[in-house]
Order: sequence, then C-alpha cells, then structure tokens
Amino acid sequence: MITSILIVFTQLEIFRKISWKKNRFMKTTFLLIFLTGLSFAISPPTDVRAWDSPNDAGGSINIAWRISPDDPMLDGYEISRLAEGAADYEPIGFIGKTRNSYTDEETRDGVKYQYRVAAVKDTIMVYSEPSNYVQSSSQWFNTDRINVLVFATLFIFLILWFTSRAKKGMSLFIRKIAGLDAVEEAVGRATEMGRPILYIPGLSTMADVATIAGLNILGEVAKKTAQYDTKIIVPNRDPIVYTVAREVVKESYTQVGRPDAFNPDSVFFVTDSQFAFAAAVDGIMTREKPATNFFMGYFWAESLIIAETGASTGAIQIAGSDAVMQLPFFITACDYTLIGEELYAASAYLSREPLLLGALKGQDYGKAVIIGVLLAATLLALIANLPVLRLF
Amino acid sequence: MKFFEALMKIDRRILYLVLAAVVIIPFIFPFMIHPKAMPPVENLYNYIDSIPQDKALVISVDYTPDTEPELHPMTIALLRHAFTRRIKVGVLCIGVLGLGLAENALNQVAGEFNQRATSKADSIIYGRDYVFWGWQTPVLTVILGMGERISRVFTVDYYNNQTETLPMMKQIKNYNNVGILVSVSASASPGWYITYGQTSFGVKVGIASTAVQAADWYPYLNSGQATGMLSGMKGGAEYEELVQTNLGITDRRRATEAMASQTSAHFAIIVFILIGNIGYFVLRRRKK
Amino acid sequence: MKRRIPLAIVFIFGVLGAIPFLIPHRIIQNADNEFRSSILRIIVAFSLVLGVGSIIRHHFQKIRRKKENWQYSYITLIALVISAIIGLFGGIDARGMLPTQFTVPFTEYVFRFDIQTLYTNIMVPLAATMFSLLAFFMTSAAYRAFRARNVEATILLLSAFVVMLAAVPLVSSFFPKLSAFSEWILTVPNTAAKRGLLFGIALGSMATSLKIILGIERGWLGGTS
Repeated sequence: MITSILIVFTQLEIFRKISWKKNRFMKTTFLLIFLTGLSFAISPPTDVRAWDSPNDAGGSINIAWRISPDDPMLDGYEISRLAEGAADYEPIGFIGKTRNSYTDEETRDGVKYQYRVAAVKDTIMVYSEPSNYVQSSSQWFNTDRINVLVFATLFIFLILWFTSRAKKGMSLFIRKIAGLDAVEEAVGRATEMGRPILYIPGLSTMADVATIAGLNILGEVAKKTAQYDTKIIVPNRDPIVYTVAREVVKESYTQVGRPDAFNPDSVFFVTDSQFAFAAAVDGIMTREKPATNFFMGYFWAESLIIAETGASTGAIQIAGSDAVMQLPFFITACDYTLIGEELYAASAYLSREPLLLGALKGQDYGKAVIIGVLLAATLLALIANLPVLRLF
Repeated sequence: MKFFEALMKIDRRILYLVLAAVVIIPFIFPFMIHPKAMPPVENLYNYIDSIPQDKALVISVDYTPDTEPELHPMTIALLRHAFTRRIKVGVLCIGVLGLGLAENALNQVAGEFNQRATSKADSIIYGRDYVFWGWQTPVLTVILGMGERISRVFTVDYYNNQTETLPMMKQIKNYNNVGILVSVSASASPGWYITYGQTSFGVKVGIASTAVQAADWYPYLNSGQATGMLSGMKGGAEYEELVQTNLGITDRRRATEAMASQTSAHFAIIVFILIGNIGYFVLRRRKK
Repeated sequence: MKRRIPLAIVFIFGVLGAIPFLIPHRIIQNADNEFRSSILRIIVAFSLVLGVGSIIRHHFQKIRRKKENWQYSYITLIALVISAIIGLFGGIDARGMLPTQFTVPFTEYVFRFDIQTLYTNIMVPLAATMFSLLAFFMTSAAYRAFRARNVEATILLLSAFVVMLAAVPLVSSFFPKLSAFSEWILTVPNTAAKRGLLFGIALGSMATSLKIILGIERGWLGGTS
C-alpha cells in the first residue's frame, strides 16, 4: 500500500516538473499512461495472520487475511509460503475473490513457515506484507469436545454409583412396562392353547445393541417355555446371532433344570436376505400358527410384513425395537410395543438383577441431567430475547 | 346393520385387489403431475447448483434392489443435474448390493449425455468427469478414511483402475474437495455420514431417502446438519421437475411417472380408512 | 477363562475405540487408522467367511437329516455355488476368464448370464416385488387399526390424513396451505417426538455399550452366568 502511494506521488512529481510549453506531446502522453496505469493499480490484502490449526493431528496451518479493497475487480488470491531455510516463497494455493481464509495441509510439524497472500488480476500480482512465523503441531486433547467428555464422565459416574448402591441392597423403583408384564401372560396363553411361541431376535448383527437386548429377553422367555414345556421357535437372519441365540436358549433350559427339554432344532438360521427371511417367517406363522409372537430387536421394512401376517393368524404379539421408523407399524399391528429404550430396560426389568437395575437408574438420571440442561438453556435463550432487555 | 358388520370383517384380499387396480390403471391411462418443489428439495438443488468447479458431488448409493423403484430415480436426477453443470461426480457404495444399481445409473445417464454430445468436451468421460469408487468395508473406515485421502480408502476403483491415476482424482483428494455428499439411502447411512463425516471433517451432507424414513431425518434438517432432503417418490419427482425446468433435461422421469399411481393409491387408502371409521362409529352407536 | 478372554478383549478395545474421539494427536489417530483400515477389515473378511460357512453347514445338515423341506436346501446350495463361480470368474460385464454369454443358435440374440445381468434381472425384480408387498399390508393394517377410538387416536388419524394428502401433488397444488401444514407437522411435533426418542435411544445405547465394555452385561457371550 505504501509502495503504491510512493509510486503515484513520484509520478505526479515528475509530471509536474515537465514543462507544458516545451513538451506538450510528452506531457499528454505521460498523463494518459499515468491515468491508464492508475486505473489498473490494485491493492494487496492486509493483516495476514497464520496460526497452527487447533485440535488436529498436526501438518496443518490456518491463514486468514483482510480482503483487498479492490476485491470485486480481482480474479482471486494466491497464497505462498516461505519455509524456514528456504530461499524463496513457493505458491501453495489459489482461491477465488471474496474469500479470506485458507488452510495449508501440507506442512511439516516443527518447521517454521511464513505466508503472504497476493491479490491477482490477470498477470498482475500484488503481494501482502508477510505474516508471522508459525509452526504446526499435534494436540493431545480436542478442546471442542470437552463438553462430551464432561457429560460422558458424569454419565459413567451415575451408572457406576447406582450400580454400587444396588449391590449394597438399595431398592430401586422402575415404572410398569405393560409389554414386559404381558410376557408371562403371553407364554401362559401359548401353553394353554398347546401352540408354539415364535421369537425373532431382530434382523441385525451382534454389533447392534438392540440385538443384545433382544437376546437377553429371549433368555428370560426361554426360561418360561422350559418351565411350562412350551415349544419355542427362534428363526435367525444372522449366522453369528444364530449361534449366540442357540447358546442363550440352551443355557436358559439348563438354568431351570430342564436341559433334556432343549431342542437344538428350535433355534435355526434361515437366510441373510431380508425379505427372504420375512417370507420364511410368514410361512412359519401360517403353518405352525403360533399363539404368541415376540419381535424383539432391530427391524427394517419387513416389520409390517411379519407383524401383519402374525395379526392375521390371531396370535398375541409383543414387539420391541429401537428402529424408530418401524415403531408405527408395530404399534398398529401388535398388542404391546416396547418403544426405544424400553427394549434396553427389558433385561433389567425381567431379571431384576441389581447390577442391571442400577445401570438403568443411572441412565435415567443421565437423561434427567440432559432435560435440566435443555430447560435451563431454553429459559436463558427466552430471557435473552426479551424485548425489554434491548433497552440496556 | 349387517352391511356394516360385513364391511368391518371384509376379506383383506378384496382390499388388495382394489389397491392393485388403482395402482395399475394409471400406468395404462397415465396422467402427468408436475409437483412443486418443497423447501428441503429446493435447498438441495440450489446447493448442488452452486458447487464450484474445483469441487465434486459425491453420491453414496446406499440402497438395495427392494427400494430401487423409490430411490433410483433420485440418483438418476442427481447425476443428470451434475453432468449438465459439469460438476465432477464420485460414486461409492457402503453396501455391496448397491453396486449394480450405482453402475446402472452411471451407465444410463452417461449414455444419455454421450448420445447428445457433439464433441469430446461435451461428452461424459469416465475418469475425467466421474469416478465409480465401488465398495469397501467396514463402513466407518470408509467414512472416516475419506476425510484423509479417498484414494487410500479406494486404492482401486470398481473397474480395477488405480484410483490415483485417474484425472479427476488429481483434484479430488478428500472431503475438502467435496462440495456436498448426498447419501441416497433406505437405511441409517445418512446419519453415519453426519455423525462421523460431518462432525470430524465438516463435509456438507444431503439426504435422499424413502418416505417412511424421511420423518427420521427432519431433526437433522432443522438443525442444519443436513443441507437438503429428497423424501420418497414425491421428493424424487420434485427434483426431476427442477432439473427439467431449470436445465431443460427432457429424458424419462420415472418418479414423476409413478406419481399418478401413488396419488390414486393414497386416495384409495384414505377412502378405506374413512369407510372403516364410518362402520366403526355406526356399530358403536348401535351397541350403545 | 473361556469368558475372561472375550471380556478382556471387549474392555480393551472398547476403551481404545473411544480414545481417538478425544485425542487428535497423530500417534493416536495413526494407530486408530491402522486398526480400522487393516485389522478391522481382516476381522470383517473372516466374518464373511463365517457367514458363508454357516449357511453351507446348515443346509448340508438339513439334507443329511432329511428335515422338512430339505429339497430346497439343494436349490440354495446350487444357487450359492453357481453365483459365486460366475461372480469370481465371470468378471463384471462379461470381462472375466469364464465366458458368460453365448449367441442363441439360428438367431442374433445374445444370452448373457454374467453377474450384472443376474443381479439386474433376478435380484432387483425379486427384491422390489417383496418390498411392494408392504403397500398391501399397509392397506389392510390401516383399514383394521386406524380407528378414532379416543382423542389421541383421532389426532393421529387426522395428522395421517393431512400428511398423506399433502404427499399427493394434485391436492397440494390446489391447497398449498395443506402442504405447509404437513411440513409443520413433520418439522415441529414429529421432530420433537423423534428427538426425544433419539435422546433416549442414544443414552440407552451408551449405557448398554458401557455395561458390555465393563462386563456387567454378558448376554452376548451366550448365557447369563
């Protein structure tokens, strides 16, 4: 900027000293060239700053600047850098006009860099003053995620605290969940009618939390079918879930003292194709006519196909899923539905094991903390936007 | 009264027959519907339209053959939009069953453009204008790895070419070179892209999903995490309408063709529900 | 021991999986990338082998013991082997070692059976047909269950009407306010309810994952003891 002003001033001074009488032509030509040159003079960007990109694994430096006053006329900005020990600046990037920041992701940690930004118009490039020297580095903690760490720590503390309290015999209240209270009645109904129970532990893999919850409930249901000598049918879509389900049912029969009653063929793998599995289950429902159907786990679009076919056979149906989009279909077609986390609570609810109850309680208090924060933030936002506060 | 009792206990096969008729008849006697684009569709269209030339549109084809009728027209419309505006396109699948569908879509749309092209500059050339990266597993590795270097996640493309050697890949290295990533999906993959891709790398995410699933994505749309959304067959038809109106593409519009059947089916189901409720109220009054 | 080793593995890798989220340092991120891009892929590849092996073993057993509908197991196994051979050796679009097309004698018709053709002409129509059944099941479910039994059911019914009508372009072009109302239903009450559910499910997943990592929840091991 200063250089441009000096050049203009020098030219004006030269122009003033040329005699008009003696050199009319020369003065006119000089004036024309000066005015043309003036119209093409552009200002460089200013206030170029560079700093290490925060919360990253290193190798990155952020550069920002104030755009040139002649920004609308420009083609864009070229960014160049000078590495410590290097002879000259090397161009590293070009971005369009109106933009005032750039990230250099090709730096080496520990090496100092200096940057400058040039305003570019056709072949004209006007450079800014160089930035400060800066070097990139890795950070050991992502400060943007501190809120996640705080909440996660609080949540873990709540769960562990309630679990330890439960182990010491503290009584923990859990509200009634109609779908789970109906499990006993549903199994009893099947026993009286002499018809089997169909249990589907979802269509997802063992990596899914809902599948684990479904298998926990299967364990409890299998204990009841073992006690009442009711046939249970457990078709599976995933080979690994099938092996785990088999072990769960076998273990349940053993726990109630009926290992001889366990039929290995009652738990079987069908297919891993979603709709082929749905077709197979529909076939089982129409042939075996189970008195009770359990759908516990993660389901996709086949949920309505399965549930509606079950409803048409007259079975009592209890469903539980955290697949939010399938819940409306289950609610329409089933007698009882466990919504979302009620499925996760099922293992604690049915077994009444202190450890599981304590963890459930801790989870609920974690939710209470979130609700409290949401209400407080909403209130503060409301107060902050009150018209009367604008007077201050 | 017996009429209403019979109506309440009607054999479901009669309902199925009526529904089949109202779905099939509009295909034999078609009528065209031109839907007006809703804001989520317009937002996605406008954002893709404004992608700068140095950035790419990435389409993640995450659906399977069962949802092909609803979602495939969206993929086709997105490709037509991108190719008309000469936006570079990268396509990937995070489920193996989407590969055949993605290839079908790319071959179809590239074929449409190349039939009209009069020079090499007009043509859609593989490697220069679009790349089909294919499928990799597991999902998180793909989503997070693309933030670092796409060519390290997909070292070879679907056709076994070294990804680094393709002309387009010299410019498109990671999410910083991606204008927006649109997940065309009937599963939870848009949520994964937002949770992992956007949170870690800031990539813009658009959603194209089935109507059933669209209700789940509204929280993300409201919070700004999803830039725009195509919801169901209607969303696809709206996008096709925008592409035709603004860009003059007059190729076949499958989603729009299906709107006639969808309209009739909706009306049929509404009529069934009304009949069911009328019968219910009449019988309830009778019992009182 | 049979239970301790899996519990220890789950604990170690559960904790290691959470750390890269908070620590951006190169050493941690590189280790995490190495695990995800190399080790995890190998594990997933083995699980695919396990899946295929499980299907084959199951159907062989069914054939050997002549269980109900054992004949269909032959069809499953034959289809598995043929599609695997075509996929592995036929290549994409008939560009592999195995020839996957032939010209029908006395005609110019080329009969193709490469994996892409099988996929487009068998998988796609079959899957789309099964999915289409949903329309019919939805109709019978809606007819049977959508009754205005009480206030909540009536509100649900009316909301359903509004959203369904707004999804019809013919109606929404005549009544633009209906579309706006439908958008409001989806973006305000629906979003609020979904957010509540999402919070609950997210916390429930977190708690269940924590219980699994800490070994409190052991159902996934196959039995509760």
